[in-house]
Amino acid sequence: MQLTKRVPGELRLGLMAAACALLVQPAQSQEAVTLASDDEKPLQVDAGVLYYKESAGRIQSYDAIVTLRKDFGDEHILGLNGAYDSLSGGSPTGAVPTKAAQTFATPSGTSLKATNGAPVTYTTSSGRKVAQLETVTVYTVSTGALPLDTGFHDQRVAGDLSWSQPFEQNNHVALGGHLSHEQDFQSISGNASFSRDFNAKNTTLGLSGNAEFDKVSPVGGVPVFGSDYTQLLKGGDRNKQVTGGQLGLTQVLARNWITQLNLSYDSSSGYLTDPYKIVSVINTLGVATGYRYESRPESRSRRSIYLGNKVALGRTVLDISLRHGTDDWGSSNDTVDARYRIPLLGDDLYIEPHLRYYQQTAADFYSLFVSSAAAIPTYLSADPRLAAFSAKTVGFKVGMKLDQDNEVSVRIEAYKQDAKVHSSTLAGLSGLDLNPSLQSFICQLNWRFNY
Amino acid sequence: MNCRLIRIAVCGLALASLAGCASVGIKPWERDILARPEMALDANPIDTAFDEHIYFSKEAASGGRGFGGGGCGCN
Repeated sequence: MQLTKRVPGELRLGLMAAACALLVQPAQSQEAVTLASDDEKPLQVDAGVLYYKESAGRIQSYDAIVTLRKDFGDEHILGLNGAYDSLSGGSPTGAVPTKAAQTFATPSGTSLKATNGAPVTYTTSSGRKVAQLETVTVYTVSTGALPLDTGFHDQRVAGDLSWSQPFEQNNHVALGGHLSHEQDFQSISGNASFSRDFNAKNTTLGLSGNAEFDKVSPVGGVPVFGSDYTQLLKGGDRNKQVTGGQLGLTQVLARNWITQLNLSYDSSSGYLTDPYKIVSVINTLGVATGYRYESRPESRSRRSIYLGNKVALGRTVLDISLRHGTDDWGSSNDTVDARYRIPLLGDDLYIEPHLRYYQQTAADFYSLFVSSAAAIPTYLSADPRLAAFSAKTVGFKVGMKLDQDNEVSVRIEAYKQDAKVHSSTLAGLSGLDLNPSLQSFICQLNWRFNY
Repeated sequence: MNCRLIRIAVCGLALASLAGCASVGIKPWERDILARPEMALDANPIDTAFDEHIYFSKEAASGGRGFGGGGCGCN
């Protein structure tokens, strides 16, 4: 201890007192640090609007989120979150393009039989009459085009409420709830978490759990799993449950580096099928002979490991994360996400490039189509989201601090998804792109202010 | 095989991280850099919420950082 030998007694006492004063202060974990400004301005408001548009006449949406965060003191924090989405455009039905025009009915039409044959009325188990009572729209998909249900439109309203506070020394607890409403989907969920700080608050271990209950009420009813598209085999509303848990470790590795490691598991049960998706039935010549509604297992469990890092390099900040996940549907996935914040003109203006790469393998029961020459499998889906594909996101964000309490930013991004298998050697399908790339554009505006 | 090796490597890294935690860290007065708002693990919750929602509706995976993307009929 050379220092103590060289420092005079009074100064040494002064330094010790200063050091003790620092130690008495609660060591600031990342969460606590961000609250420092909340103490000065109790209500923090984050608002964002987003425009999302896919190419080739597919989905577009307008989304808005407002988040309120209020610290009542001593890290007793109330969070409120409201979201609204409006979606429209063409959603892939799952049927493949063919060399002949194809005709489909919107979900409210329930089937081609209802539109081309005698009108049929049926009553779902919830007592809802469909087919005759609802507008039937038949649409034709031209030769070689990907079948899209262009009548798709939906709105979603969602809200979150959360509360977190310290619990005895070095512990935090948090509770939260979520409600979501769509025309054909209702969801309610709750979550709870407990975390404990160790190692002079350089290490935080957290455990959290989540339970979600959903009600699925598709337009036109719930199709019978794997049934013929031309039949009126539909039932009433169905339910879905999801429970999950997460074990998290946050560690300060250096003065400029904090890392987070999460292990997650969730289990879903109930109705996990997409009621609007169908699968083409193709004969040995490559000609569509019919369609089946898709059918997925009624349970699914997923596991993932996530590693996030925040590293300051001078005034710049690198945010890089890795994720690996698997599920018992036979699909696995990997994600790399990187953002690099670069200050411009001091700290009031910054630009943040963003790159993301994602890849997944196909679910066991996924196929572009099923063969008419073989028995229809129990589980089948041609939903492109269950296919093997890779996806890239490239974009940037520009943010500007207007004053101490106001910051605005704009984010522009492009997303491209490329399927690994999108062709067939069957004569009737050769030369057709059976699962075309998905390209989308994202524009987002944010406003953060303290009130 | 590759997946298995990656899994073992990630688990090994995780265990090594856990074991090393007790001796890794900084002093309270060294938190000036970590105190910057942009160094928060989720510095932009609105961006995170939008991203979780988009990727949940377009990909088979979701979450990892938290319980992301659920409560939507889009997938």
